Amino acid sequence: MAQLNIQHVDKIYDNNVQAVFDFNLDVKDGELIVLVGPSGCGKSTTLRMIAGLEDISAGHLLLDGKDITQAPAKDRDMAMVFQNYALYGHMTIYENMAFSLTLRKENPNVIHKKVLAAAEILGLTSQLNKKPSQLSGGQRQRVAMGRSIVRNPKVFLFDEPLSNLDAKLRGATRREILLLHKRLQATMLYVTHDQTEALTLADRIVCMSMGHVQQVGTPIELYDAPANKFVASFIGLPPMNFFDVTVREGMLEGKGFTVPLTEEEKGVLLPYAGREIDLGVRPEDVAADGDIAMSVFSNENLGMNTLVHGHIGHSGAASNKISAKLRGWCDYKDGDSVGVSFSRKHFFDKESGNAIRKGEKA
Amino acid sequence: MNEEKTIRLDRMRYMKNTLSSGFALLAILFDVCFFISIYESDVGSWYYTILVGGSILYNLIFMLAAFLSSEGVKNYKIGYSYLMIVLGIIQIARIFVYPVRAHGAVVTIQEQAVTVMETAQFTRVVIYLVLSAACLFIGAIAGIIRSRALAGHLASLDSQAA
Repeated sequence: MAQLNIQHVDKIYDNNVQAVFDFNLDVKDGELIVLVGPSGCGKSTTLRMIAGLEDISAGHLLLDGKDITQAPAKDRDMAMVFQNYALYGHMTIYENMAFSLTLRKENPNVIHKKVLAAAEILGLTSQLNKKPSQLSGGQRQRVAMGRSIVRNPKVFLFDEPLSNLDAKLRGATRREILLLHKRLQATMLYVTHDQTEALTLADRIVCMSMGHVQQVGTPIELYDAPANKFVASFIGLPPMNFFDVTVREGMLEGKGFTVPLTEEEKGVLLPYAGREIDLGVRPEDVAADGDIAMSVFSNENLGMNTLVHGHIGHSGAASNKISAKLRGWCDYKDGDSVGVSFSRKHFFDKESGNAIRKGEKA
Repeated sequence: MNEEKTIRLDRMRYMKNTLSSGFALLAILFDVCFFISIYESDVGSWYYTILVGGSILYNLIFMLAAFLSSEGVKNYKIGYSYLMIVLGIIQIARIFVYPVRAHGAVVTIQEQAVTVMETAQFTRVVIYLVLSAACLFIGAIAGIIRSRALAGHLASLDSQAA
């Protein structure tokens, strides 16, 4: 398989709109990288530049050390799987999977072996004589993946491959992609706007916003130590709660509430004494065993957990809204008051939005 | 049986028999050329008019049967290969139904003696019918060989699975 280096890549369209700014990434051999971000953040554009479907305005793209920045798509030895499958409706599954190799005029017996091997991997052997219209969405997407596998490319590129599938099928196909990656040990780049896909599939995640890379790291790094407020709000479901607070002696003072700090947190926030910062708390880090009064205004029972929405402190302050993911089945009514505490806190600089970490200067 | 041959046979499970179906479609094409060519005849009498009319009607039946055969042999249905052989024999027989009778025959049209079918036209229509028949025979033979080979391969796969 292959190592991919993306160096200072920009994308500027003819109308001078810049879609991608200084994108840098080193993809290791056999790594599964997920590009995640909201719609319009430049992740698909980046993938299309890697595939050769979009010109690279500036920067370099290296595959196994060879500069392929200007190479046409057909010479890049990459296979792309699209959201809409891009299968030929008049061809059988076998013919669809064999098509790219037939175009290359490979030996038909070799093509046959490759198609059968790919079909075996993807569990499509019994479907080979069918037409795409006779298959479910998940099966069609597997065919699209099979078409990539038979080519044995250096890099697999996935552009939101599960977006057309329903939630149940999406989960199943996601697991299949993960198994496929383990089996093939292939270098893969995967674009999605679904953070669940990103967290479950990725070896490393590239989180993007407005054409800029916000953070690159393992799923747990992005979840546990988000680099900035955007990553913190994008990764995690339900999203992180944010509160406007001021750093006081041994505590944080919000609008109508205070949050005690641990000794370690006091050390981290020492340079911010007396200043306003953003406090971030994940809903799953809120426990119903504290002194911060939370006034409930809605309650969603999810079986194992209950998602409780409410506010803390002054009810009028927009930033005081809070969602808490509490364990078990809770039956709070509108207006109920619950004492909550925060088991983990994240701090963000008010101006830059960057995370405040130990040893960093304000 | 060597591996290459086994793979070639196994490929037939997923690939259509386009060779046979292609020949069947080619046979239709030559038949179309034939019936376009016979319009050039100066029939001049009810006898030849009826022969040409009958030939045109049969063309419709032929085209339908040959097209169905092309679809059938594409899916390795051996019965359609036999149908193609029958159609090929009829194509040869058709040479003796109209072209041979019309070739060199003279009729009177507006008090003038006219040859129903000149030698050049006769040669052309015979070539078209022979080519059409040849395509049907080749397609049918290929269809029979392939269908039998596939049936044998599927039987061996079944026995291996059992």
